[in-house]
Amino acid sequence: MRILGLLAALAALIALPFFTTGYIIYVANLLLTFTVLCLGMHIVIGEAGQFSLAQAAFYGIGIYTSGLAGNAFGWPFPLSILAAGLVAGLVGLGIGMIALRMRDIYLALATFAFGEAMQWVFLNWTSVTGGPNGLRIAPAGLFGFEIVTDKQAYPVVLALTVLMIGLTVVISRSRLGRAFRAVRESEIAALAMGVPVRTTKLAAFALSAFFAGVAGAMFAIFSTFIHPDSLGFQTTILVLTMAVVGGLGSIAGAVGGAVVFGLISELLRQAPSYQEIIYGLILIVFMMFAPRGLFAFAGENLRRLTRA
Amino acid sequence: MPEPLLQVDNVTVRFGGLVAVNDFSLSVERGTIHALIGPNGAGKSTTFNCISRFYQPSSGRVRFDGEDITRLPASAMAARGIARSFQNLELFNELTVLENILIGAHVHCGGTLRDWLQAKPPAVMRHIDGVLERTGLASYRDQKARNLDFGHQKLLELARALAIRPRLLLLDEPAAGLRNREIAALDELLTRLVRHDGLTVLIVEHVMQLVMSISDRVTVLNFGTKIAEGTPQEVRDHPAVIEAYLGKEAAAQDPHHA
Repeated sequence: MRILGLLAALAALIALPFFTTGYIIYVANLLLTFTVLCLGMHIVIGEAGQFSLAQAAFYGIGIYTSGLAGNAFGWPFPLSILAAGLVAGLVGLGIGMIALRMRDIYLALATFAFGEAMQWVFLNWTSVTGGPNGLRIAPAGLFGFEIVTDKQAYPVVLALTVLMIGLTVVISRSRLGRAFRAVRESEIAALAMGVPVRTTKLAAFALSAFFAGVAGAMFAIFSTFIHPDSLGFQTTILVLTMAVVGGLGSIAGAVGGAVVFGLISELLRQAPSYQEIIYGLILIVFMMFAPRGLFAFAGENLRRLTRA
Repeated sequence: MPEPLLQVDNVTVRFGGLVAVNDFSLSVERGTIHALIGPNGAGKSTTFNCISRFYQPSSGRVRFDGEDITRLPASAMAARGIARSFQNLELFNELTVLENILIGAHVHCGGTLRDWLQAKPPAVMRHIDGVLERTGLASYRDQKARNLDFGHQKLLELARALAIRPRLLLLDEPAAGLRNREIAALDELLTRLVRHDGLTVLIVEHVMQLVMSISDRVTVLNFGTKIAEGTPQEVRDHPAVIEAYLGKEAAAQDPHHA
């Protein structure tokens, strides 16, 4: 039943470009990118319980890495994607080694500070990022073929999303995923069971950065331009809100949250000055009334209703 | 006589100016149940945390099966066969009983990439099924740990420790808060583990009924210092022990007391 549902959803997604306009496909590309960003947050916060607030920075590193790999070296896009993930993952590993000495709110603050510092780097390293003028991203290419339109990018973006969802499922079901959850639930018990807590946290942190880097490369495939303004703390908060709305700790929640909340944020673009306030409100309301996310909340209440 | 499984030599633990454990030594023989008792704040749990490597002793040495483990990290204990339970439950609350126990088996799941991807290796699952069976948790395997009642949560701590396949089991107040019936079951289980499976147990416990029933040897701590050691009978009649538990007056009524 569940597999049928997933196949139906996949079929609908594959068929999407045949009966919609370019704008809808652009939004779909964006939502899929946010889905992968959300999955990264799910791994580090939802699974391993480490409050990282640097997702936008790793996302930016991914965008610039793949953008430059294409612009300056003309790399075929699969290679740029891999490079984006690996560079972001390695930077994540380095930052994790320092930041993971701290925990809870201190870890959140340290990663927040790193995110802000990276945005400053994006803004001021003009020779590489174009600084405040932004960076034009050349169309992604592979053996002479170029991805120019959103519709052309869509199959690649969709395939990557499916791949990353699959990877998340594999990790989550593996012993590594179990070690992540053990560390989240009790560090001292995990230690007593022989789980190397620091290494495990570091793995979660680096993996989450890798996911954000791949998301960055996905963005670079369907976008022609990136400006540091969109790589600040708001983006991290947007992704965090998606993950919370969907439900931290579940893969379906991360995906659902990204789609539902991505649509809300796209609708709110008409009223940019209220956007931040509305995000904040949604985040607070969910943390208070549905801490396990929209889908768990709806599920529980449906069950209660049907029993009554 | 073979070398003791666990040998604690002259361990001292200082927290700032406070000496929590003072020049403490202990030998735990293989295949025995050794109890560590004493009034609250005597330094039992501190000693325990030194052995399981959660605290670093200020001086002294801890040896396990001939190996000096005083400088090893806490996460290296499971692979050596040292398992512990916690005084205040430290379960993975949001995970199921089975997942809790699977994490206990973490060090037995192998090191290759394939092993890491395989969540439930068949060999490990066979052992875990045995653990579930003997602790009576089999029918709770898919329940979340936080939804169990207190008695079963205590059992789960023990089951998770058994999944490590320990040679030395360190139990920090396993009977605290249990009902009489549950204590009797614990008594039976521990006795069987030691007599039948050759496990060695070091137990910190306040429930004297259990201590007196299962222990081969008892060590008594007070104010971080060892004040008595012997069989349960010897320790029970020891004047210094009576004084530590009941005060000087009660001890003075004992004719042997100097």
